[in-house]
Amino acid sequence: MKAAILPLLLLAQTVSDPASRVGSGRIQGGWEYVWACYAIAWGAIILYTFSLWLRRPDRE
Amino acid sequence: MRKWLRPAVGVLGFAMLVVGAWFGLVKAPPDREMGDVYRIIYVHVPCFWMAFLAVTLNFACSALYLIKGSWKLDALAESSAEVGVLFGATGLTLGSIWARPTWGVWWTWDPRLTTAAIMLVSYAGYLALRRFVEDPERRAVWSAVVAIIAFADVPIIWYSVQWWKSQHQIQSSPKTVDPQMVFALRWNALAMLALLIFFIWSRYRIALRDRQQEVALPDALPPARTTPVQASGALK
Repeated sequence: MKAAILPLLLLAQTVSDPASRVGSGRIQGGWEYVWACYAIAWGAIILYTFSLWLRRPDRE
Repeated sequence: MRKWLRPAVGVLGFAMLVVGAWFGLVKAPPDREMGDVYRIIYVHVPCFWMAFLAVTLNFACSALYLIKGSWKLDALAESSAEVGVLFGATGLTLGSIWARPTWGVWWTWDPRLTTAAIMLVSYAGYLALRRFVEDPERRAVWSAVVAIIAFADVPIIWYSVQWWKSQHQIQSSPKTVDPQMVFALRWNALAMLALLIFFIWSRYRIALRDRQQEVALPDALPPARTTPVQASGALK
């Protein structure tokens, strides 16, 4: 009985979770590069916002 | 213009970027080839799109300045160049980090990477020129000419992956990419667009304030022409 519904369960999972359709890729891991990129992008944006705030015209 | 509109655009951009990070890091599926490393695309590509938009605005303002001579256009050109360098430098750094796990190197003299680096150096030079020239009118004219020359590199960057053998992939099409990936990329691009508008708008106000202060300084005005009669009268 369990073996009979297994393909159906797998099909349901594939439909609900797009990640299972393509697998996890040839390159495994690498999350440290992803986190580094997001941190740099966010850091640059936040620092530039801060620099604009420091130079704001209505400060004087 | 209503005072709350500019900060509201900034807050909207930051809020959208938070949601965009969730789309990019959690919701979007991994790539068939690159696994999770490809998630860098959601910050790398929008950064470059915004850099291109900013330098295109800089080009338009510079060309119009040479025709109309408006200080507002010069201020907008300066603002867009600075924001373009911010997004371009960030995009290039992220691209270098992405290259390490996928190409095995941090940097290679690939046509796409090289032309992007040339763009960054050109606009850094443009900003340096603006710092060095004290006379506002000369600065505006010279920097406008430099901006027009520097912009020639932008279409070369865009088409470099099609014109030459490049390790960098060609532009993706929504038809060849998972819809969830396309949605996450577009969402992050819209978030960065809101931030781009907020940054250029805020920097424009600073540039306008600087112009007003320069005009208020007597040294910034062109020297008064004195006739020999006036000069001799002054001596008396």
